Formats: sequence, structure tokens, C-alpha cells
Amino acid sequence: MSNAVIEMNNVVKNFGRKRVLNGENLSVQQGETFAYLGRNGAGKTTSIKMLLGLLKPDSGTVRVLGLDPAVSPLEVRRRVGYVAEDQAMFGWMRVQQIISFVAPFYPTWDQKWAAELTSRFELPLKTKIKHLSKGQGVRLALLLALAHRPELVILDDPTLGLDPIMRKEFLRDLVGYLQGEKVTVFFSSHLLYEVEPVADVVAILDHGRIVRQDSTENLRERVKRFILSASAENAASKLPGLLDINRSGRQISIVVEDAQPAIAALQREQIPFDEIALNLDEIFEAYVIGRKEPANAEPPLERVA
Amino acid sequence: MLVMTWKYCYTSVFTDPAMFIRIETSSGMPIARQIADQVRTHCASGTLAPGDRLPSVRQLARELAVNQNTVLRVYEKLTAEGLLERRHGDGTYVADSLPPGRLKAQRQLLQQEAQRFVRRAGELNISDDDVHKLLDEAIEHRDRQRGSVPKGGQRNE
Repeated sequence: MSNAVIEMNNVVKNFGRKRVLNGENLSVQQGETFAYLGRNGAGKTTSIKMLLGLLKPDSGTVRVLGLDPAVSPLEVRRRVGYVAEDQAMFGWMRVQQIISFVAPFYPTWDQKWAAELTSRFELPLKTKIKHLSKGQGVRLALLLALAHRPELVILDDPTLGLDPIMRKEFLRDLVGYLQGEKVTVFFSSHLLYEVEPVADVVAILDHGRIVRQDSTENLRERVKRFILSASAENAASKLPGLLDINRSGRQISIVVEDAQPAIAALQREQIPFDEIALNLDEIFEAYVIGRKEPANAEPPLERVA
Repeated sequence: MLVMTWKYCYTSVFTDPAMFIRIETSSGMPIARQIADQVRTHCASGTLAPGDRLPSVRQLARELAVNQNTVLRVYEKLTAEGLLERRHGDGTYVADSLPPGRLKAQRQLLQQEAQRFVRRAGELNISDDDVHKLLDEAIEHRDRQRGSVPKGGQRNE
């Protein structure tokens, strides 16, 4: 895959006896806006640290822009823009100071672009970082990550802690300045409804593995819920690609990975059904807490992430 | 979201047509379809008139905070339907002449809604006669609301 900007193959990582990544596979193509979803503790930040060469996999391979980040971390970081979760910056520095401080680390730093972003993001140059609002802080981090014109931008939960208006603004910046410039964007988030409109591709990470990677359109078209009569429970539990099955009184609700084969199977068995489209939240839920055994009125088990 | 779309009126780049589009991210309907349906509706209702220029893919994507490829796909689809026209290097316009299938497409949309309505009525055990009555009442309600200012042209031709 010559066009893959990020590739992870069978990546395993343990912290002590705890397995955090359990054979993770993913591939991000050039120019894609790739949303990386998972519950807290699913392994998102661990993976991102590997992409930047801050952690080494126990086994498996990681490639970023064709490089092994564990071997060439500096080159990777020169070509990648990175905004960390809760980016810590020197609070005593002024905006102008941190920009001048960070610039020399990057041979490709674009002074003009940095100045333009400063004014577009309405960043007050003379203000100390600790006095910036949360939204300004995120925009400053974004500026620092973009001004060297990276080919790939990695954002670890960039909207965390922003209010709804700022989050929206951030997503607009993302669409306007990154997609507009054909930069590949890899961003993690747990706010699914926000991710969907901006992402080309979505990957769902659960317990250290990718349980689904697909285009947002495909996910919406394929993952569907069906409501059937409870008498069809037996047949329903054997449907291909079953993600979740739930019984409630006289009805059962099932979620399947791919609607077409499931519909074909239901029609073959002459089982009447109602088809329901799902939003990304519901799809995510089916993947990460779906249960394949019919259960009656028991609350879902709390799983340790 | 609504507040955001109001910006359309003021943003100088596309002063020509005011186009409100509202995305519901919690809906089960894909975003591309939501946008396409709303543009079709705007064209049908006359909010967008033939020859009106649409915002560029980039502008609309940014305003709605929606992936540019999604907007591009919508424009391409509506262009293929003959509703929009992409003039090379000059942006996207509402087509000057009505595509022949356009009314049919509008009708199909409504037909889907009618089917949903009828199915829902069935689920609620409402008789077919009552379904007709409900529609009559809805029409009366609309006419009452228009009240003293009857609007021409919106009746069935």
C-alpha cells in the first residue's frame, strides 16, 4: 500500500501484565480524515504515542509516512503535526514567545503561515499562555502543530474540555485548514456525533483491537438494527455479522454489521422485520458493548476497559 | 446549528442565495442525504432559484463543519440529477432549466414520507378512513393558518 500514511500491523503492547493493544491493525490513506474512536482506556493514546515513536510495540509493525517511528522518531516528528490530549505548554510564556521557541525545531516552519494562523485564530500574541481560554489554548496548540506544514496531523482528543461552540469552531478549522490543504488527519475522539460529519473513515478500537474500520457512509449504510418478533429469536441469533441482540417482551432488537446478508437471511426464513437506521453513537455502542447472547432484562455487564 | 446557518445571510461571499441547511447529527440519516434533501427542497420551494450560485464546496463544508468530500459528493450527485450545474472554474449554480425528472424526484420523496405515515398509522391501529381524515384535517389546518393571506401557487396545479 504505497498510499498508506499510517499503518499498524498486528501491534501488541503490554504494560506489565496488562495487555493494552492486542493485535491492532489499521491503515490510513493519504488525504483522509480518519477518526479513531474508542472508550477511555481502549488504547487510543498508547497507539498514538507509538505513531510518534514515544512508545515501542512489543510486537507487530508501525509505519508512519513509510518510516518506523521507533527507529526515526525525529524525522517522523518533523513531518507530523501533533496536538496532545490536554496539551501542556509553558504557562509563563507569551504566545509570541512559544511560537518563536517552537519554530527552530522545524526546518520547514512557515513563518508567513504561522502569522496568518495567528490572526485567523485571533490569538493574542502578548498574552501569557496560562491566561488563554481553553479554546485559545487548543487553537495555539493547533497553530504550533500546523505551522511547519506537516503532511500528517495527529490530534489526540482535540476537543476535550471545549464548550460546544468552541468544539464546532474547532471542527470548522479542521475542515477549512486541514481538509482544504489535503493534509491527512488522524484524530481520536469519544464524541461520536461530532466526528461523523467531518470524518472520511472511522475506526473503532475496543480492548486493544480495531473491531471495525470503514468509511462513515458505509458504516451508516451497512450497520442496521432490526426489530423482530421474539418468536424469531433462534433464527436471529444465527444471523451473519450479529453485533447485538436484545429481547424486550414480545420483540427482539438485533444489530448486524452488514444489513444486506442479514435481510437476505431473514427473507429466506420468511421472518418479518422492521429496519432501523442507526447513528454513529448507536453503531459504536453495538460494537463495544453489544452482546451476542440474548439476555432478558439484565443490565449489561460493566466491562473493564 | 440554526444560529450558524443564519450566517449565510451575512457572509459576503455568498450573498446571492440565502440557503439554510441544518444537520442533525443524531439522526439515523446519513449527512450527505440530509444536505441533498434540503438543497432539493430549497430548489423545489424556490428558496433557490434557477441561476442562483451555491456556496463553494469549501465554504459550505466549513460553515456546516462537514467533510469537504461529503459536500462534493452531494454537489456531484445533484449535478448528475440535473438540479445543479457546475460551471468550470466558476462554481456551482442551480440549473437554468428544470430537469425532466425533477418533479418526479420530489414526488418520490414525498411518497416515501406518505408511506412512512401510512405505516405508522397502521402501527397505531388507525383505520384507512381515519388516515384520509387526518390528511384532510392537515390541509384545513394549513389553510386556516394562512388565514387572510392566501398564498397562490402552492395549491396543486
